Amino acid sequence: MNLSLTVRDTRHALVLTALSLVLVITVLVSLTVGAVTIPVGDVIIILLQKIGLFSQLQVDSMHEVVLTTIRFPRVVMTLLVGGALGVSGAALQGLFRNPLVEPGLIGVSGGSAAAVVLMIVFGSGFFLSTDNLLYDAIIPIVSFGGGALATFMVLGLGKQSGKTNIAVLVLTGVAINALAGSVIGLSVFYADENQLRTFTFWTLGDLGGATPGKLLITAPLLLGSMAALLVQSRSLNAIALGEAEAYHMGVNVERTKRIIVLSSALAVGVSVSLAGIIGFIGLVIPHLIRVVFHADQRLVLPASVLGGAWLLIIADVIARTIVAPAELPIGVMTGLIGAPFFIMLLMKAKLKNEI
Amino acid sequence: MYQAIDLSFRVRDRIILQNVNLTIRPGEFTAVVGPNGAGKSTLLKSLAYENTNFRGQVIINGTSTSSYTPKSLSRVRAVLPQSTTVPFAFTAEQIVHLGRYTHRSTHIVNRAIVQEVMERTSTFSLKDQAYSTLSGGEKQRVQLARVLAQVWEETVHPRYILLDEPTSSMDIAQQQQMFALAKSVCSRNIGVMAIVHDLNQAVQFADQLYFLRDGKITAAGEAKDVFTKTNIEETFCCRVNVYHDPCNNCPYVITERTDTVPASIHHLKLKTSSL
Repeated sequence: MNLSLTVRDTRHALVLTALSLVLVITVLVSLTVGAVTIPVGDVIIILLQKIGLFSQLQVDSMHEVVLTTIRFPRVVMTLLVGGALGVSGAALQGLFRNPLVEPGLIGVSGGSAAAVVLMIVFGSGFFLSTDNLLYDAIIPIVSFGGGALATFMVLGLGKQSGKTNIAVLVLTGVAINALAGSVIGLSVFYADENQLRTFTFWTLGDLGGATPGKLLITAPLLLGSMAALLVQSRSLNAIALGEAEAYHMGVNVERTKRIIVLSSALAVGVSVSLAGIIGFIGLVIPHLIRVVFHADQRLVLPASVLGGAWLLIIADVIARTIVAPAELPIGVMTGLIGAPFFIMLLMKAKLKNEI
Repeated sequence: MYQAIDLSFRVRDRIILQNVNLTIRPGEFTAVVGPNGAGKSTLLKSLAYENTNFRGQVIINGTSTSSYTPKSLSRVRAVLPQSTTVPFAFTAEQIVHLGRYTHRSTHIVNRAIVQEVMERTSTFSLKDQAYSTLSGGEKQRVQLARVLAQVWEETVHPRYILLDEPTSSMDIAQQQQMFALAKSVCSRNIGVMAIVHDLNQAVQFADQLYFLRDGKITAAGEAKDVFTKTNIEETFCCRVNVYHDPCNNCPYVITERTDTVPASIHHLKLKTSSL
């Protein structure tokens, strides 16, 4: 008996180590793929040189430029966005005690998108150029604000005598998303050609816009919100039994709720501002982790960070190689992988009378 | 001691609880009985401080519940709800481990406690099964194990468990087991309060018995003393007879058969048939 739980803890560590290894390998491979193929050896040497090792070895200088200025920021952003979406989905599913919840369903992404589009179309007058650092810094904040506002509206309206009613919540989410859609439509109506194009590609998701400057601002926000969510994994385990039960067991439920909603809104809002709406990662990954391993949130949350990052890297590699030298929007790829999976989940839940 | 002092609770104009006074002593089994809608669950929720909008006071070990944090409260009282659904695939053992949520004790201590309470509730053999696949009675026993795990350790202060109809989905053998177990944990300096549906079981196991009707205590005291024909009839609005069972040395109640359907039900039938 004493052994069985130690084994379980070690198994958590093992699963997470294995996932990390797979992720590292996938990242290395993804760095080699693209318009220019860079050998894995060169990738490793360049990376090591960045931290001051093997500086005497010579590599193709074009490879180095491509890697450091284009692929490396892109991969880091992909990792952060994928991880943020994965863990937000896992935490929100845990909080709402429903495996079908995803950030999109409760309005985070819709709210973020609406706020960002308003910003792109009507806000450009406030800034002399859309390429300056201030603009880069404001977009994530606006995006977070929109996401948080939408989430709190959905959460507030979905409450019934102090408890979250999932059916009302999902319907409210639909309504808020419709509202966000109208705001977006209205903005598109007033947008000029250039803004329209920017916006259309942005909604489909675009990981190509990563710059070190953008990362410098957004990485701390994403890492911070991910960390805040990860800390809640024990409380989420208790909340799985119900909010009242969690409270009986000593969880400060209202505080946990606030932290999770705010951190998810921050994580998703910033992700949306960086890469547009990338659907299904937050839904598919936590579910996959639960099916393959088990439901302990202390595993599901960190594994969703790794899994989300992994899936987005894979989707990104496919998106930028399948029609090379052009690029498929990333949202198309995750949708192609995610939609059939979501339908499968719905069918399964239907069979089990869980809906 | 766990005390409700002058507890009142209303939702808009409807009075749910009115000047309820109740005491749960460590080492004792306190049962609350009453008809449906009497306010039993609201009373339990107020005692647990899950419902905080009441007037009056709930005092645990000399301190008002309003001065406790969720964490410190969880160290002195645990609650067993009527039923618990778990949307994710947790095993029975993982559920019981959740009872140790706020306890900063070592893994070894936690594991030993989880094993002990699972053995006591005869759920140890179910430990690796998915909670959702268990029967209603098994689920309830696993939840009881979780509740016990929360207050199992001996501490300087007494601990309490509040049970909301703990036997609702059990057969009679399991019901007896459940109450016997609840009664036996009293010896660990634990006070047990239970809402009990079956009057005969209430009087068999309870030390103190409270009758609740329309949010008011109609009778309270030593279980065997207050278990009278008058108290039961007044609380439940139902004709009964109370006898003495020499085997258990305990009173028991049997309802008097009536062949007349109450007027209100007639009325209802007419209404539905005319629709």
